[in-house]
Amino acid sequence: MTNRSTSTILKAAFALAVGVVTIWSFEVPDAEGFQFPALARIFFWHFPCPMIATTLLFLGAWFSYRYIKTGDLKADVRAIASMELGYLFCILTMLTGIVFSQAQWGSWWQNDPRQTSFLMVLLIYAAYFALRTALADEHRRAANSAIYALSALLPVLFLIFVFPRLPQVQSFHPNTSIMGGQIKGPYAYVVTAVLALVTVLTVWLYRLRVKVGLLELLVEDKNDGLETAGGHTPAAPVVRPVRVSRDR
Amino acid sequence: MNRRIRAIFLKEVRSEMRTKSGLTTTVLFSLFTVVTISLATFDLQISPQLGAGLLCVALLFAAIVALPRTLIIEEEQGTGDLLRLVAKSEDVFWGKVLYNLVLMLITGLVLSLLFLGFTHIGVAHLWLYLVCLFGSCCSFSGAVTLCGALVAQASNRSALVGVLSVPLLLPLTFLAVSGLRVAFDTKFGFNQMNGFIAGGGLVCYGIASLAGGQYLFAAVWKR
Repeated sequence: MTNRSTSTILKAAFALAVGVVTIWSFEVPDAEGFQFPALARIFFWHFPCPMIATTLLFLGAWFSYRYIKTGDLKADVRAIASMELGYLFCILTMLTGIVFSQAQWGSWWQNDPRQTSFLMVLLIYAAYFALRTALADEHRRAANSAIYALSALLPVLFLIFVFPRLPQVQSFHPNTSIMGGQIKGPYAYVVTAVLALVTVLTVWLYRLRVKVGLLELLVEDKNDGLETAGGHTPAAPVVRPVRVSRDR
Repeated sequence: MNRRIRAIFLKEVRSEMRTKSGLTTTVLFSLFTVVTISLATFDLQISPQLGAGLLCVALLFAAIVALPRTLIIEEEQGTGDLLRLVAKSEDVFWGKVLYNLVLMLITGLVLSLLFLGFTHIGVAHLWLYLVCLFGSCCSFSGAVTLCGALVAQASNRSALVGVLSVPLLLPLTFLAVSGLRVAFDTKFGFNQMNGFIAGGGLVCYGIASLAGGQYLFAAVWKR
């Protein structure tokens, strides 16, 4: 079997799995404790997003560290791929969270500390992309954005893991869904299935993004090589014959 | 203090004394902020929560106006390369951070005195108030100095430094608000322990950002 046909079969299997899990998510009994239990199903898609987003943002920080250590632009390509995907999942987390908030608590924006802290994470990474656009030289861009990603790690850790658990912070958002065993039975199976599917999708997107980044890098290297060979070669000296005459 | 760090610190002080533009800008900015707050709340009794939030926001923006200048100006005047040749990155970092810390402490002191005077907020726990102010100044100076180094060679650096610094400093602002509202509290009876935890957290955050900032700065400065 060729690579292309294997890839087609895998994509078809993935699409089928997404379909099955989506139907399954509508088949499980309504969850208790929600104002509108039927609408609470968006939780299946909301729950994996912050987990994937957080993992990708830390992965981005790891590759940023690798760039600082090695100076290899491939590490920067992996860092930016992780950051872009992480940012995408942060946005999905916010969007699904906002829909959940409207459905269950009656307002699009609750000013909930958890929502606000995640919005801050989103802003931190928006600043990361703003920094990248402001630097023209690729090595400087890679280095400065890597440093920013690493220095953002402490605030991000605080905002995701510490801030929502502080005693003075009162939030609608539960912090103990997994550890407290609140997700159980068929709900737990669907959540796990969706998490697995989103993880597979993320890995696939990540690999594609890295491939594109590495190809861009290769093209830039080739262009640099052509410029060096063609444009930067010193021109051959031109000798003009000059007549020197003494008779006037 | 290391001789080279002291030399860089003194260089900053001398160039500031020559023009006095950094200090003047920051003090004027603080004054304008406090007068604006006072104008906006002239018929209100400011609660400790609101007062703490307003003071922290004013401090945050004063830091962003004043602190990145020290590194950006090196690139603008073309003296950055000379500094790279003659000094180690950690000496540059600590020299600049010390200067920024002194500038920030002066700004914090002026701003908070003006704020307390204009808004008539009383301080119930002076030590907690001072710890929060000192912790905020340490953290702000470390983080904003690093952001200044990051944007020093970027286009539109003046705007960009605010974009980079504000999200990094927001968690600190939360800790500072938590501590200061207990320090301002005279009648609500907030849990004092929470205030002291926030103050301690702020100081620890400041130490961590300064300690880590040294290595991160080295990676940017020498490239």
